[in-house]
Amino acid sequence: MSGLKLDINTTEPLVMHIDLNSCFAIIEQQANRLLRGKPVGVAAYDTPRGFVVASSYEAKAMGVKLGVNVAQARLLCPGIVIMTPDPPKYREAHRRFKDVLLKYTDDVTPKSIDEFVMHLENSPLFKQGMTVKSMGYQIKDGIYQSLGEAVTVNVGIGPNRFLAKLAAGLHKPNGLDLIDHKNLRDTYESLDLLDLPGINTRYKRRLEAHGIKTPLQFLDADEEYLRKRVFKSIVGQQWYMRLRGHEPDRREFGRKTIGHQHAIAKQTSDPEELNKILMKLSEKTGRRLRKNNLYAGGISLWMGFASNHRLWSITGSSAFTDQRTGWHHGEKVGSRLYATHDIFAHAKRLLESAKVVEPVRIISVTTFDLHKWDPEQLDIFGNERGYLAARRISDALDVVNNRYGEFSVIPANMMDMKGTIIDRVAFGNIKDME
Amino acid sequence: MRESLNEPVSVVSYYNSSSRQVQPYQLNWQGQIYKLGKIDFWHKTRRGDVLIHHFSMGDIGGTAYFKLALDATTLHWTIEEYMTADQMEVVYERFEA
Repeated sequence: MSGLKLDINTTEPLVMHIDLNSCFAIIEQQANRLLRGKPVGVAAYDTPRGFVVASSYEAKAMGVKLGVNVAQARLLCPGIVIMTPDPPKYREAHRRFKDVLLKYTDDVTPKSIDEFVMHLENSPLFKQGMTVKSMGYQIKDGIYQSLGEAVTVNVGIGPNRFLAKLAAGLHKPNGLDLIDHKNLRDTYESLDLLDLPGINTRYKRRLEAHGIKTPLQFLDADEEYLRKRVFKSIVGQQWYMRLRGHEPDRREFGRKTIGHQHAIAKQTSDPEELNKILMKLSEKTGRRLRKNNLYAGGISLWMGFASNHRLWSITGSSAFTDQRTGWHHGEKVGSRLYATHDIFAHAKRLLESAKVVEPVRIISVTTFDLHKWDPEQLDIFGNERGYLAARRISDALDVVNNRYGEFSVIPANMMDMKGTIIDRVAFGNIKDME
Repeated sequence: MRESLNEPVSVVSYYNSSSRQVQPYQLNWQGQIYKLGKIDFWHKTRRGDVLIHHFSMGDIGGTAYFKLALDATTLHWTIEEYMTADQMEVVYERFEA
């Protein structure tokens, strides 16, 4: 076969991947020394059906993994201490974590609340002769000093992001490993396909169906075979590059959606109750749009019903199909969504069009088609006066809420729901923190 | 969710100019006096304009954990969380949605 031919990248490995071990649980163990050495789970809710979003190494050793619920966690690990998240603490840890890394280079990219990638080719310390491995050890020490003795990180170094991340996962917890052209084959030889970041069981099955059963076979596969036969897309070429230490992954994606989701403690199909939650989700969404000086051109509403415990992804803007498990609809609205009441009005309209066949377990409002609010680009045919007036009112309300605290000024239908939609911190989305 | 116990407490604290750090030193709560150990985690939050400092720390004997909050506007101290070694459960107020 023909196709792209690349040798294994022999350049000096200058990409570093750093991740905080069991982030939320470790921060809890750092803050509370009675928890150190004990199994700890951080769960979205501490009720039996709340999902564990992080577990300490002690809990992981007893089988408490991401996604089990609190009842299962207690069965697997009697005596586990379950706590709900404390987002401000984790955000502070993220900031301190980043501050340590910025001492080495300004090319630091947060990948999530607990993961960073650094490119060190322009690091002043590297140019002065410090080795990348020495930097890794110094960073570990810096994080220990800044965040505390219970906090450890995994450091991986490689010629591209993929190999740096793979290296970071080789010796958890508290490892430091380097993968370069000299040990690449040996490293792959010791691993399973599922050990490769980005390879899930679905991809593994696909690779195996095409005769690729080990990372070494994956490495030795022809580019054209991966692109045309295995993945049937450019993804095959990206894997071909990635596995050899070349970089197909240095792309930053802009924000595409802003939204909020809420798991309802007392599941309900009462439209009045759902509307109240919808209003608060709309307010939170609106606050984030306005903070980022964005407006949205579309909105979607998603509800999961009580009978379905499985979470599934949604795409596009078409109506959802399986009405037994959930309902989704999204659409462009033909106007600018910026003010909370506009977001709420459209979300409410979507709710009214929904078939709520069972009590709602989880509900989310998402805005998409995001644009920067540009005062130079006024639409002479559109309702600019209306938009500007709504914008001024929303901005004024935000100023009051900034000064006196969130939800100091609220719409009347939110009056008796203090704190219902609680503060959360996402694993993947840290754009609001930058 | 984690809500504050928000119970007023008496705290003796000092400021160390060389480490440039405030150290809560002693806590008087529910009729008991606790000598406090080092700060294990410090972070800040804002409630509107009001800055709040949160100190997570244990007592010096290693038998209790506290999360204390200092309102930087009023200088009032409150206790937000506590836990004891013989009852391994963090206590904080919760509410149902």
